[in-house]
Amino acid sequence: MRIGVMFPDVSGALMRHSATEKYPFQRQGVTARLRSLLKWNPEACTGCGLCAMDCPAEAIQVNVLDRKAKRFVFAYQVDRCAFCGQCVESCRQGALEMANDRWELAALNKEPFMLYFGDPDDIKTVLAAEPAGEAGIPADK
Amino acid sequence: MNTKQEPQRFVIPIGPQHPALKEPGNFQFTVDGEIVTKAIVRLGYAHRGIEKAAEERTWIQDLYLIERVCGICSHIHALAYCLAVEQLAHVEAPPRAQAIRVLVAELERIHSHFLWMGVSGHEAGFDTFFMYSWRDRERVMNILEKLTGNRVNYSANVLGGVKFDLDQEQIASIRGGIDFLEERTRHYLDVVATDFMFLQRTRGIGVMSRAQAEIMGAVGPTARASNVARDVRKDAPYAAYKEYPVDIILDERGDLEARFEVRLKELFESFHLIRKILDTLPGGELTARMPRKVPAGEAVMRVEAPRGELLYFIRSNGSDKPERLKIRTPTICNLTSVVKLAIGHQLADVPMILAGIDPCFSCNDRSVQIRTSNDPDGRMLSWDELRQHGIDFYKRLEK
Ligand code: SF4
Ligand code: SF4
Repeated sequence: MRIGVMFPDVSGALMRHSATEKYPFQRQGVTARLRSLLKWNPEACTGCGLCAMDCPAEAIQVNVLDRKAKRFVFAYQVDRCAFCGQCVESCRQGALEMANDRWELAALNKEPFMLYFGDPDDIKTVLAAEPAGEAGIPADK
Repeated sequence: MNTKQEPQRFVIPIGPQHPALKEPGNFQFTVDGEIVTKAIVRLGYAHRGIEKAAEERTWIQDLYLIERVCGICSHIHALAYCLAVEQLAHVEAPPRAQAIRVLVAELERIHSHFLWMGVSGHEAGFDTFFMYSWRDRERVMNILEKLTGNRVNYSANVLGGVKFDLDQEQIASIRGGIDFLEERTRHYLDVVATDFMFLQRTRGIGVMSRAQAEIMGAVGPTARASNVARDVRKDAPYAAYKEYPVDIILDERGDLEARFEVRLKELFESFHLIRKILDTLPGGELTARMPRKVPAGEAVMRVEAPRGELLYFIRSNGSDKPERLKIRTPTICNLTSVVKLAIGHQLADVPMILAGIDPCFSCNDRSVQIRTSNDPDGRMLSWDELRQHGIDFYKRLEK
């Protein structure tokens, strides 16, 4: 039995700088695989709705206005998203991808958490069709 | 803390808020002076209804719900679930995926054991130990983050395989981290085995004999510290543990010191296993095709979580959702031992005895529907009846 077995750890640490990061003046780099905001590629999407079906948080709605003309509105509720990556995995067309650098999502109101991707006119149509306060119309499966 | 006096008897309720650990659980210790003479545990404060919620979601959605049963051992829960569902669907994940699953599971074990080590040190009043072990734990958290993108809830699994692959850079960074952690683990093993102050709190405290451990159904490192050779990785190898076997670490002493040593020595097994996986990672696909509807049937899956045996039971009726899902976490198996071992010890040793099993309350809270032979469908209580039931329950406890 000995006394003060951890003393060398303590004395060694005296010489070290503090590990606290001076955020927001200093930002640690993120890892390449970090999952942050979802990116949707309208060219590749076929409007199949698999991403919405598999999303555990029901954060996605795929509104199909015209499948042939590829008129889709992809509604993405960021504050619901658990950043699990299942939608990316489920999309067979490779239309979804998660950015790794858009992780600073704090905001003062809820607006930035409701994202609509698609043609601006189509988004207007979708928004006009939905009851106030609810996001998106049910995906056309 | 409230104390309640009765003739020649003192009952000290600890919890439900913060009973030594930052999780809710209620313990009632009857003391005679400083010595505990009776202990009662009461759980259920963090019941989240996960099993029921799982019945309402699809197989794929459930994976992410299941991953959130436990914040510390999220991967092993998801893994047990995936393996059970794959078993039902007669799908086998490719060997590379299985090896990566085991790799993440072992990294998770390292992070969990380091976390536990720090917390137990803190319970013993050894905060230096807590701070430095948690500083070193950051290294494995960084590895996990680099590998999976997240520090917790890695979301590494998908039904039928894993989401990501390993590249050379990843492998090199894991190797570097493991070397560092191995050296630190050696140091901490030295601390727990030789530090005079710390040994005062662990040596000969909470001794559980092998017979007791077997009767009480202890699992995981808690059982192994009492010389019970019980490890699912060895007894019923799952995922890639057949190809990458582990040795069971045993100790005969059964006290807190033995529990520390068993967990720390287990880490060396994990380091060894991780190196072996990195050396001989099989090639090939990462996922196998998984049907959306799982054939009707029942599956039971046992895995070795950092805290011991974790059990999943799943019943499918052939639809895209499970009909029933049952989870049994290791803490519920080990809690009986706390109630038994606390008796005869000083009250001050109780937090250490509790921390010694590495409890995790929120994961183990399940509700049970009681059915008697008179009413096989179970009982529905009105609000007043429920209130009366609660009052009677506590009256019974006090007797
Ligand atoms: S990352 Fe997960 S939670 Fe977020 S939108 Fe995709 S599937 Fe849904
Ligand atoms: S799964 Fe892919 S292709 Fe299908 S709707 Fe979603 S983004 Fe489009």
